[in-house]
Amino acid sequence: METSSFHSQQKWNIGFIVFLTLLLALLSQISIHLTLITVLGISLGFVLQKSRFCLVSALRDPLLLGMTQLTRAFLLLLGISILGFALVSWGASQRNIPLILNVFPLGVHTVVGGVLFGIGMVLAGGCTSGILMRIGEGFAMQWVAFFGLLVGVVLGERSVINWRNVFGESPGIFLPDIFGWVPTLILEISSLLALWQLASWWQKKQLGE
Amino acid sequence: MTRFSIEIWGEMCPIPLIKAKKKLLSMQCGDILVLETEHSCTSRGIVVWSKANRYIIEEKEVANGIWHLELTKTHD
Repeated sequence: METSSFHSQQKWNIGFIVFLTLLLALLSQISIHLTLITVLGISLGFVLQKSRFCLVSALRDPLLLGMTQLTRAFLLLLGISILGFALVSWGASQRNIPLILNVFPLGVHTVVGGVLFGIGMVLAGGCTSGILMRIGEGFAMQWVAFFGLLVGVVLGERSVINWRNVFGESPGIFLPDIFGWVPTLILEISSLLALWQLASWWQKKQLGE
Repeated sequence: MTRFSIEIWGEMCPIPLIKAKKKLLSMQCGDILVLETEHSCTSRGIVVWSKANRYIIEEKEVANGIWHLELTKTHD
């Protein structure tokens, strides 16, 4: 009885797929590069929506509800990313391709920004990708959150130079340069495994299984 | 076998789960709690929480981005 107010959206879905295919076909006439980026973006959004992966939930639920399934999924994600990054980075160094990574050293601004973002994402109920995905889903509250996100991004981008000048930042450390690739990977994966064990233990303790 | 429902439209997680927990306390064993949400994380969170607590849960995506949940209280 509750479901009667909803109709099947299959024809809308099919229509949208046709529209997207035509749009991509049109775009590929202009630039292959743009088409590939668009396809990647759409696939990421699709996977995000269908998997309903939520970074906020991964970081908040252990403390609030004592559930760590998503936290462990997040650790798995980190592990896969580390292996993938190692592969890409190693391949790039073999062929002398410079990598532009947009990675910056830690400083006071990182901590302040992290705390602000953490408070904001719990209040808004989504991190950046989560907000974008839920706007697409039709969750109207996230439009407000998106506006807040834009304001925050602009303020951060404008003021980050001042933060760096006032507080300075620690020198960047690249672990593979110090330990070598294999020990670094072992160190990182084993610390992730330890966190995984900690998360399982925490859930057992909280839910009393 | 009474059916209860709580209003959680437009609420973001974890508020619906906290409300559901509160409502479950006042329910008898075998009662069903019906929930409908348009927040993806909420729906997944409730399903995971129910399974961890060994309640029976049925989830259905009735329309794009709208989830219908039926939670049966199996034990106190």
